[in-house]
Amino acid sequence: MSDAPVLTVDDLEVVYRTRDRVVTAVTDISIAIEAGRCLGLVGESGSGKSTIGAVVQGIIPDDGTATATGRVTLAGRDLTPVTDPVWPQVRGRDVTTVFQDPMRSLDPTMSIGSMLNRYTGSAAASIAALARVQIRDAATVLKKYPHQLSGGMRQRVMIALALARGPKLLVADEPTTALDVSVQAEVLNVLREASRDAGCAVLFVTHDLGVARHMCDEIAVMQNGRIVERGPADQIISDPHEPYTKRLMASRITLDTDRSRPVGAPEAAVVSSMEDVLKVQGREGGDVEDRWAASSLCWDDFRGETAAVGAATGDDAVRLVSHVTRASLTVNDVHKTYTSRVKGRKVHNHVLKGVGFEIGYREAVALVGESGSGKSTLLRIAGGIEDADSGAVDSQGVAGEGTQVIFQDAGASLTPWMTVEQLLVERVAHTRTGKDMTTGQMRDLAVRTLELVGLDATIMGARPAQLSGGQQQRVAIARAVVVPPSVLLCDEPTSALDVSVACSVLNLINLLRHSLGIAVMFVTHDLAAARLIADRVLVMTGGEIVETVPAERLAQDITTDYGRRLVDAVLA
Amino acid sequence: MLVFALKRTGALIVVLFFLTATVFVLGKVGNADPVRTYVGVNASAEAVAEAREELGLNNPVYVQFADFVGGLFQGDLGISLATKRHISDDLASALPATLELAFMAIGMSIVIGVLLSSLYTRPGRIGSALRFVFFSLASAPSFLIAMLSVLIFYKWLDGALPAAGRSSYGPYDDGTGFYVLDGLLHGSLTYSGDALAHLVLPAFAASIGPGVALARVLADGITSSMKSPWARTARSLGESEGTVLRRHALRNASSPALSLLAVQAGMMVSALVVVEQVFSWNGLGSYLKTAIGVGDFPAIAAICLILGAFYVILNALVDVVLAAVDPRVRLS
Repeated sequence: MSDAPVLTVDDLEVVYRTRDRVVTAVTDISIAIEAGRCLGLVGESGSGKSTIGAVVQGIIPDDGTATATGRVTLAGRDLTPVTDPVWPQVRGRDVTTVFQDPMRSLDPTMSIGSMLNRYTGSAAASIAALARVQIRDAATVLKKYPHQLSGGMRQRVMIALALARGPKLLVADEPTTALDVSVQAEVLNVLREASRDAGCAVLFVTHDLGVARHMCDEIAVMQNGRIVERGPADQIISDPHEPYTKRLMASRITLDTDRSRPVGAPEAAVVSSMEDVLKVQGREGGDVEDRWAASSLCWDDFRGETAAVGAATGDDAVRLVSHVTRASLTVNDVHKTYTSRVKGRKVHNHVLKGVGFEIGYREAVALVGESGSGKSTLLRIAGGIEDADSGAVDSQGVAGEGTQVIFQDAGASLTPWMTVEQLLVERVAHTRTGKDMTTGQMRDLAVRTLELVGLDATIMGARPAQLSGGQQQRVAIARAVVVPPSVLLCDEPTSALDVSVACSVLNLINLLRHSLGIAVMFVTHDLAAARLIADRVLVMTGGEIVETVPAERLAQDITTDYGRRLVDAVLA
Repeated sequence: MLVFALKRTGALIVVLFFLTATVFVLGKVGNADPVRTYVGVNASAEAVAEAREELGLNNPVYVQFADFVGGLFQGDLGISLATKRHISDDLASALPATLELAFMAIGMSIVIGVLLSSLYTRPGRIGSALRFVFFSLASAPSFLIAMLSVLIFYKWLDGALPAAGRSSYGPYDDGTGFYVLDGLLHGSLTYSGDALAHLVLPAFAASIGPGVALARVLADGITSSMKSPWARTARSLGESEGTVLRRHALRNASSPALSLLAVQAGMMVSALVVVEQVFSWNGLGSYLKTAIGVGDFPAIAAICLILGAFYVILNALVDVVLAAVDPRVRLS
């Protein structure tokens, strides 16, 4: 194999034209990848990284809305101009792609075998292809359909498909973003080893610097359509020069992240008075650190309140004691069994086997566990979405407004035809707080809440589809806290978001918890996020809580096998 | 797959049983006195009593029901009060006539659906013109289409297509009643072709509505399938648009289309009752019309049973086909 790069891109510029706007997606892009090497394109949504991925696959829309100029050479073939009709022969042979969403990237009606055999030529070759992506039970997997496989397995199948015909270049477009953190590392290893064995070059598109470091030889950091910094992966990670790269690094959450201040904030800001708090909280989002400091003040307030319990007398003491000592959520010996029929026989799936725990006033507890451990069922039961077979759940707490849930897929949890205002006002109207309020008052409350979650009141008229993923999650959170619940239940609220957006949402949840005085139950696979949000981390396996660890000492104190595995899965 | 089909068949039998029971009960609580219809208004009291005994109406209800079900199993649908003949004999020619027409109409609606769906997915002037024409046709009741097509193809185009009856030659004595099939069995393509030509206009009239509905569902399915992540995967693996459509999109889009087809086909048979009148088609429709006219309840019940069974069996069949097409149905 020659040393000439498999892919070279010189001076690429892509411009999108819409009816009223011209947007330059990327400009001045020059990259080269040699066989067997991996180049990471790292950037956030809108940085143009996916556009480059699309160009080298030749799938820039050909309808006059996009123009690309520059020079693309793939495997010695000059593909200039980039919309050249030669692409259909190149795509699928010289270049293939692994996409982000393994749940939907495989045709649901076709068996793995019928998909794979088409590109490998025979069942035997398919078995070998599956073995290369470390699928042991290949013969069985060939007979299965996508919906019968886990996300990690599907993504391995996707990699096997992409490598089946020995491409020169593999484009990996956020291949592990949609996967559980615990399988992310495995799939990355599979991808790296299989592509090295195949000797193909990899263009790895991701928003996650940690993933890029794990995977890539070289990293190019992108911002606003340009490459702002590039170099060997280790150097970019350990010694970033550009402020943007530093900021990206700072928004990565690991098990060493400082829990005392907001993630991604360069330094702690000083906010000294309650007036500052109000000023900061009334402002549109962005200054995370100010808002954080503001919430810390409220937090200090609460500490003062706790201290006052000892000093207070009479009715005050009773009120304060009941405030501070009563648990916000009590789960007592909850059992849940699902019964299904498999081949005519009843199968009992004992999902929860006597789970009990408490979440104190303003406490945050994270619940971690693998898929099927029962943690999501527990969350649904705590949220009143499902009933327990036996046992008791009390979520009335002090505030008396019960629980509210925010989900992973915020877009799907917001009613598509309702405006943000209608979504919030509807929630208020259904609570005790809202009973005596006029529409105008409810609207004011909605505006204030939007500001609290860092959104501008101008989006009141927008519908969910018009919002970005981060904005949707903020609206979902606003709806949950517009009337503060006793407990905010969070079901993997950040796993579908960009790193910096995810980290601002985590900051927001922390902020709300302190400033509104609500307890939080946070269900996740991501130990780093759990550690950041929670005071205590509960580890669940097989329908039981097997371990409770203080968040501060998570990495050291966690002992169970599964817990250790989660610790290892956090890419440093 | 076999297990799924067996299960579905089991459910089918249960539904058919309830259908039978319902028809039976309706017959019992109905106003019409079967004996009067049988012997005539002026019959003597003895004749009435005799007829009552003969019709088994003196037996307990459960025995009557058992007789009714037992008869069904032997292909005996009871005795027509109007013709005094076994209903099954009466239907021996009417049922194949209607079924042949129904199958042809279902086939045509599939053809219309598939062809039209490609027009829906491909925008263009001719496409939208044809869409408009078909949409207008679909919004007209089937008897109007029937009369229009008689006017155009029979009257104005001077008999380009036959517009009355099932055949220019008459039935074979030992035939199955399905004329196209009979022609093939007897090696006469002329006979089959003639029967087919007779089928075209009535089948077209009955198939326009279901065909257009099918086209819309199929087109929606194909459009969203072509935009799906797995279609993108197929393209990234080097498949052409045509291959993505044939290999992936059609199959994924066919599930909702098949479900719709089952419902539409079931209703189509009812629509045929009207269409048959226009084309002098001696099928169930004509028989039903006579039966309703004279209050011949056993005949009406028999036809209800047949139409109901047709609908239920068709749906069961489609469920099995759906399971074959979509592994998520059969493996979940």
